[in-house]
Amino acid sequence: MLPFKLPPQILRLVLVAMAIVGSYFVARSFLVPPSFGQYGWYRGAALAEIASREPVFAGKQSCDECHSDILHKLAKDAHKTLSCEGCHGVSREHGNNPDILPVKSTGSHCIRCHEANLARPTWLKQIVVKDHYGPKCTECHLPHQPTKSP
Amino acid sequence: MINEVTNIVVETLPQIQGYVYPNESNVHPVWSVLIVIYPYITGLVAGAFIMASLVRVFNVKALAPVYRMSMLTALAFLLCATLPLLCHLGHPERNYEVMMTPHMTSPMAIFGFVYAWYLMAVLLLELWFDFRQDFVKWSKTTPGFQGLIYRVLTLGVTDVSEQSVRLDMKMEWILSIVGIPSAFLLHGYVGFIFGSIKANPWWGNVLMPIMFILSAIVSGIALCVFNYIVLTWIRRKTVNMRCLDAMAMFLFYALLVDAVIETLDVLHRGFAAEEGFAVLQTMIREKLFYTLNIGQVGIGTLVPLLMLGALQLLRHRVPEAVRRTMIFCSGAMILFGVLMMRWNVVMGGQFFSKSFRGVMSYKMEFSGQEGWLLGAAIMCLPFIILTVLVKLFLSESEQLQPCEHLPENSSKT
Repeated sequence: MLPFKLPPQILRLVLVAMAIVGSYFVARSFLVPPSFGQYGWYRGAALAEIASREPVFAGKQSCDECHSDILHKLAKDAHKTLSCEGCHGVSREHGNNPDILPVKSTGSHCIRCHEANLARPTWLKQIVVKDHYGPKCTECHLPHQPTKSP
Repeated sequence: MINEVTNIVVETLPQIQGYVYPNESNVHPVWSVLIVIYPYITGLVAGAFIMASLVRVFNVKALAPVYRMSMLTALAFLLCATLPLLCHLGHPERNYEVMMTPHMTSPMAIFGFVYAWYLMAVLLLELWFDFRQDFVKWSKTTPGFQGLIYRVLTLGVTDVSEQSVRLDMKMEWILSIVGIPSAFLLHGYVGFIFGSIKANPWWGNVLMPIMFILSAIVSGIALCVFNYIVLTWIRRKTVNMRCLDAMAMFLFYALLVDAVIETLDVLHRGFAAEEGFAVLQTMIREKLFYTLNIGQVGIGTLVPLLMLGALQLLRHRVPEAVRRTMIFCSGAMILFGVLMMRWNVVMGGQFFSKSFRGVMSYKMEFSGQEGWLLGAAIMCLPFIILTVLVKLFLSESEQLQPCEHLPENSSKT
């Protein structure tokens, strides 16, 4: 016989608490993904899943295979450090199949860098779009040769 | 093209003033209305519990009629406390994973421990010990599904002998004692989340947990005042003015201390005038003018302070109906003011650039994940849960009666 008997309500609470904690650990064994904690506090299999994704960017070298004339012009002017896909969008599909055209670039790509902003370095040409002429940048500017006029 | 240009030029850029880094010029802040509601709800929980503790620990018998309602209010709001966070994170299909993989390395993840401790080890236990006698009584007299609920809640213990009830009272008292620091921990933790971000001058402040705890107490008492008056009005009962006056008194003192500490914080910041103070001035004068000066300070603090302070001085000269209206309005205004305080803290910290030389704006959207519609829905949910809890556990005849098994010491008020 036990020397000390727990009051009934306390005993019941202890049993309920044990049941809750127990069911938590049972649920945990089912619900935590198997590879969790393999490398750190995340799902280890996530790395392989991310690595298995198909790349969507083609890279400047792929563009050079067919558009070397444009790349030559680009290399001689102020936009030489820019990536083609920065303005033309992801183009791996276009590289594999020239019939699939890349997304048409728009003026929003220009103002992403050229809209006036105090935080930008002063050597970067900047305009206030609403005070600037024209709805279309390419009417006056050549994106591949920005220092020249069309 | 025109649309995209319009979005950037017409919507984004006018929301920026001064020197803002290009990667900060985002129309939507990372934390918005849901993260405003999260500390608001946890604060209401902690405050409502602390008000209930006044009865249990400090023997304030005048507040006994609202003891159970305060505890149920704390429970209803605590059940919803994690909802804003889970909605903010998105991915409802894996929301349980955050609870299945607890850890101590992230300040955010520690909330899981704080929450579980407060809900399971403090609030539910104290409520169970308080209601156990009634569960046994109701399980014998109530038929049908409701009776089944009471029978389940007794956990099979039907012993209501004097010795057993005395043990319940002792346990409640111990849990209340444990509960006060736990309530402080719950909401102090929320303040710590912001106060520990030392790179942000609006947040990084050692007073932040203290201000959060004090404003939580204020908002919790205000919520109990609000709920009590609304409940008696719905039930067509008369308000116990002794209880309401006592709540108003505690509300006044808590609000006074809260206002003093927040003023001290402002004075300290002004006097120290550390790096980034200029941008904080811009925030107070321009960006947060309405929510801070009018919402938090004016409507949420000064007017209720004046009304409640006047009632402390002239209580016997003011007719009951006027007093009731004044206390109700003060409670409602304080609830609004504390919500504004949470907005000012959460949003204010994201409205200025890390350069301290530029500010951003934010316009809350109507629908969507961070819209005010979802925020309003989450704020309504605890009231719906509370209605069910009140219906189940707060019968009309007992509503205005003090709890049967209170400690027998004399009242302090």
